[in-house]
Amino acid sequence: MDTDQSKNKVSLKEVGLSADVLMGLYTCLLKTRQLDEKLRRLFRQGRFAGTYFSAVGQEATTVGSAYGLRDDDIIGPSHREIGAMVAKGVPLSVIVAQVYARSSSPDKGKSHPCHYGYRPKGIINPSSTVAGQTVVATGCAMAFKIQKKDNIALAYFGEGATARGGWHEALNFAGIHKLPIVYICENNLWAESVPASLEAGIEHFADRSKAYGFQGITIDGNDLVVVHKAASEAIAKARSGGGPTLIECLTYRWYGHSEIDPANYRRSEELEEWKKKDPILGTEKLLTKLGLLATGKREALVEQVNQEIEEAVKTAEATKYAEPEEAYNDVYSDKFPVRRDELGMGGKQ
Amino acid sequence: MKTTTFIEAITEAMAEEMARDERVFLIGEDIGLYGGVFKATKGLIERFGAERVIDSPISEAYIVGGCVGAALVGMRPIPEIQFADFITPAMDQIIQQAAKIRYRSGGAWTCPMTIRVCCGGEVGGGLYHSQLNEQWFFSQPGLIVLFPSTPYDAKGLLKSAVRGDDPVIFFEHKRLYRSLKEDLPDEDFTVPIGKAAIRKIGKDITIVAYGLMCHKALEAINVLEKDGISVELIDMRTLLPWDRETIFESIKKTSKVILIQENSKTGGVMAEIAASISEEMFDYLDAPVTRVCGLDIPMLPFAPPMEHFFLPNAEKITRAAKKVMEY
Repeated sequence: MDTDQSKNKVSLKEVGLSADVLMGLYTCLLKTRQLDEKLRRLFRQGRFAGTYFSAVGQEATTVGSAYGLRDDDIIGPSHREIGAMVAKGVPLSVIVAQVYARSSSPDKGKSHPCHYGYRPKGIINPSSTVAGQTVVATGCAMAFKIQKKDNIALAYFGEGATARGGWHEALNFAGIHKLPIVYICENNLWAESVPASLEAGIEHFADRSKAYGFQGITIDGNDLVVVHKAASEAIAKARSGGGPTLIECLTYRWYGHSEIDPANYRRSEELEEWKKKDPILGTEKLLTKLGLLATGKREALVEQVNQEIEEAVKTAEATKYAEPEEAYNDVYSDKFPVRRDELGMGGKQ
Repeated sequence: MKTTTFIEAITEAMAEEMARDERVFLIGEDIGLYGGVFKATKGLIERFGAERVIDSPISEAYIVGGCVGAALVGMRPIPEIQFADFITPAMDQIIQQAAKIRYRSGGAWTCPMTIRVCCGGEVGGGLYHSQLNEQWFFSQPGLIVLFPSTPYDAKGLLKSAVRGDDPVIFFEHKRLYRSLKEDLPDEDFTVPIGKAAIRKIGKDITIVAYGLMCHKALEAINVLEKDGISVELIDMRTLLPWDRETIFESIKKTSKVILIQENSKTGGVMAEIAASISEEMFDYLDAPVTRVCGLDIPMLPFAPPMEHFFLPNAEKITRAAKKVMEY
């Protein structure tokens, strides 16, 4: 540890972001990490069912890109975007209720843990077919263009999803019509157990954008400032009619694809290398240099965040599952109620 | 009143809905400058502009998935799938997105979208321009599946679909596009989703059909009536959710039923109708529920004798009806 503080001093001007924005970003980053680790522990304790898809290690990518979006901007997520939810202002109680599949979850317990969606903040509840929401979010951007609105869409996907046909169709269309959308590729080097070298014949997934006629950039996805600045620039460009951008964020998930995956396919050295690039540590180092993280401030913030998380967990655990008959709702609009036939005997029950 | 073909009815429905609601737009392959391969969108790009009549690249997954996204943020898209045979690349977007977005968002996000699908045989279209695949969508809760057989229903059901709040698969049988004409009212009208139509009232036997098969049934009925057999013909029109009441009421009267389906027999729509009849109407039946369907081979071989061999026709229906009557 370098003790010569003056030698390491950085100015806000050099960073290019205000103190408020930096602290806002950092708070979201910290909240995401604490919440994610907490949810992992709760799953391991058997407190909720199914599985849990941790995004620990990737927080700078999702927080940095979603922070500052408007409520009426759309996010088409995948399943590892808890950071984007936090940054867009989804209440933690909603996130925890979703994972717990409680009646208070936006999906009322019908989908699957980590399939976060929240209409008041413009977040589309995702399906599990990756890249599915990339196509849908592109359609939102198409609508904004027809409606002559200045909303934008942000689509999240792993590098693995870029091999899907629908992904290609969506980006191709966005390029033709210069749609107001930003594509965030979370390149964490692994599509579940398949390494990037078996996913594509190119090194940088951002290069795919060349085929669609718009800009693609590869950035350090663990550097919160870099991600936020690149995303903000792309968002401003999209909002002002400049068309799409593909941003490949180089990052790494620390744990398995989900909590039931021990991730034995990876070398432990690889993980250790990436842990040195922990986005939390990197951000804290910068904030310290900027004089924004005085002694005790981090601890106070952690305590505050943990309290908020505990509250959200307590609320979710105190909330019931929806009644089984809730399963009949929201299949169609009210005009077409579902026929109830629990015994499978039609009308002869 | 104006004499209108089936395809003109569809064009008019789209034009009228676009004129009354700016949220309605079209997207599909060759639908703009070319006016559609069957000319269903003829003149619409000139009238409504390229922003609302979008010539898409060859990208069915995007055509449908993009429309799901547009529907989520307030539009009412009418995507066109040029041939039902080409809907397969869009299946993920139909099944996982359109059909389930309302469900998986607890009703927060909705997808009012009408996917027009040109389909069906007896046009010499061969293996990849004649297919029907209504049964894939029929088995997917969350979707509405429509299959009109007349110009009036085509126009009225299409309007109901566009004005509704659910994702709709709207099948248009290409054999009907120009072979049917009907006088349609000048004023605005809709046809309710979920209601079958009784095309012919009869007392001896009920025939249930949809699409082109209604017309095959009518041909058969002409023959059967000469033999003194009185047939009640029910046109399902809406396949999902299907109108069990109208079908069941008819069976109460006739006690005999034949189900006609152009598509292959196994796993088809009529398999479900037959199963439901046997579950719920067993006491009323005087003869086995009988199906006349396409063959259980890939739909639809090209060479004319094989195409003819595959498809149900008036002669096959007549034979089946006589067999059921003799039971």
